[in-house]
Amino acid sequence: MSSDLDRQIEQLKRCEPLKESEVKALCLKAMEILVEESNVQRVDAPVTICGDIHGQFYDMKELFKVGGDCPKTNYLFLGDFVDRGFYSVETFLLLLALKVRYPDRITLIRGNHESRQITQVYGFYDECLRKYGSVNVWRYCTDIFDYLSLSALIENKIFSVHGGLSPAITTLDQIRTIDRKQEVPHDGAMCDLLWSDPEDIVDGWGLSPRGAGYLFGGSVVTSFNHANNIDYICRAHQLVMEGYKWMFNNQIVTVWSAPNYCYRCGNVAAILELDGNLNKQFRVFEAAPQESRGTPAKKPAPDYFL
Amino acid sequence: MDLEVDENDLKAAGAELFTDGVRRGIRINGWLIESRRHSILNSSTIQEWEQKLDTSHLPEMVFGENTLILKHLTSGTKIHFNAFDALRGWKKEALPPVEVPAAAKWKFRSKPSEQVILDYDYTFTTPYVGSGSVEIDKDLNGGEISKETRDILWEDCKDQIDVIALASKEPILFYDEVVLYEDELADNGVSLLTVKVRVMPSSWFLLLRFWLRVDGVLIRLRETRMHCVFGGSTNPVILRESCWRESTFQALSAKGHPFDSAAYGDPSIISQKLPIIMHTTQKLVISS
Repeated sequence: MSSDLDRQIEQLKRCEPLKESEVKALCLKAMEILVEESNVQRVDAPVTICGDIHGQFYDMKELFKVGGDCPKTNYLFLGDFVDRGFYSVETFLLLLALKVRYPDRITLIRGNHESRQITQVYGFYDECLRKYGSVNVWRYCTDIFDYLSLSALIENKIFSVHGGLSPAITTLDQIRTIDRKQEVPHDGAMCDLLWSDPEDIVDGWGLSPRGAGYLFGGSVVTSFNHANNIDYICRAHQLVMEGYKWMFNNQIVTVWSAPNYCYRCGNVAAILELDGNLNKQFRVFEAAPQESRGTPAKKPAPDYFL
Repeated sequence: MDLEVDENDLKAAGAELFTDGVRRGIRINGWLIESRRHSILNSSTIQEWEQKLDTSHLPEMVFGENTLILKHLTSGTKIHFNAFDALRGWKKEALPPVEVPAAAKWKFRSKPSEQVILDYDYTFTTPYVGSGSVEIDKDLNGGEISKETRDILWEDCKDQIDVIALASKEPILFYDEVVLYEDELADNGVSLLTVKVRVMPSSWFLLLRFWLRVDGVLIRLRETRMHCVFGGSTNPVILRESCWRESTFQALSAKGHPFDSAAYGDPSIISQKLPIIMHTTQKLVISS
């Protein structure tokens, strides 16, 4: 199996998708591993933390160039592997294949895009249909999404989650009791962990003007970190032009790992490297150069818009 | 967006293309038309804009230095498009927030003890139709030149943009599309303000488009088109048509259109399905 898997990893590294039957087998293997993981998965340092990728496969290869290859580097990915970019299939399958091959050297937690509903609107569903001619691969992958852990705890000191905190959660034990094997719900603790955002202009809790979605202020983070005896929270979920951003007196940091987001924002990306003593180093990187992207940029035909 | 342009077409039109870093454009018939494309604003500039606009929220992606400029050289008339003026319009219009479908469920959630409800228009809907001014160089004593700027005056009219002429496949000498701002509504849809332009041997034409989709709730399309036909006349005329369309998902599905958001990705395709709620036509006569 491992030689098959090694071959598949090499293939995926060239941005070539697997056969449908291979995806099915890979997902079954992954399921066996992920089902054993806790909702607050323990992660040892040294570790490198990565934020949103969004199907930007060639930019993720830049990430590995900067951060080092797995398994040599131990990785924690904070979700949002799919949607928006052109290569969600290859991106997610490569990460999943690495997870199956080196389960203790890469941790994948769930982002709000790892959901059936969101992927049907923002790209992954269409991409699967286009690349495979059927929705089976999308089904296998979205079934795996339900098994992804919700958060990670590095050396009992750094809490990592895709979105943020929830008013329904004050202790990590409350996260541990969530039954996560389901589609991301529209409300409740699991929804908040994947969707909420820190917000400067509130101190406690804020409700988004959309009528759904929590925002949390500095005092919420202070209480949470204190109650759970952690140093800071590391999360992703929001685009930051500089690749990372500290808030509330270094109690929470946003890490964003999709450079030149949507192939037009011009932002840099970052990963956070923690050594064995939890010393931090942010590594900032740029999008892959055009010539390494395989297909050259197409010149658009004149658009006779009206 | 690079475009192969036939040198002979350019020459026949007496036009000249130019590029200079982020600036790209064309000189044609007394007009200088240029676009500039940059990255999104960085965190510190975002903070400055928030102060200037007196807001604590801006779109996630503000292409603050992107612009499209159309300048009539002899008169100093300048039509231009930028995110800042558009966001000023958003701040002033200040529509009430639109609730997403999940909001209904959230009303029954137990509330945290201290909860602030934010109420700005997160859709960043703007009535922006473009910016404009006339810049006149005044020769002061001693050869010093001072620039005097005054507003331009659009007047209502009954003329219409000649879409039949625009549909003819005249060669496009210059084309570009510039994003002014964009927001993903935290994965609840899209809010996007862009302007695109095409310049042909006989005229220039542009489309400023605000496109909003709040998934499961609302679609809003506010478009402004401008057309200027080059002629022998010294007084060029710009026609400006603004058309606002809007519909709820509910109304669309009642008319037999799909309810799922995936069906509403491209505003050009669905535009005709949306009822018009406002339409105006104006013109600007440029006097030299």
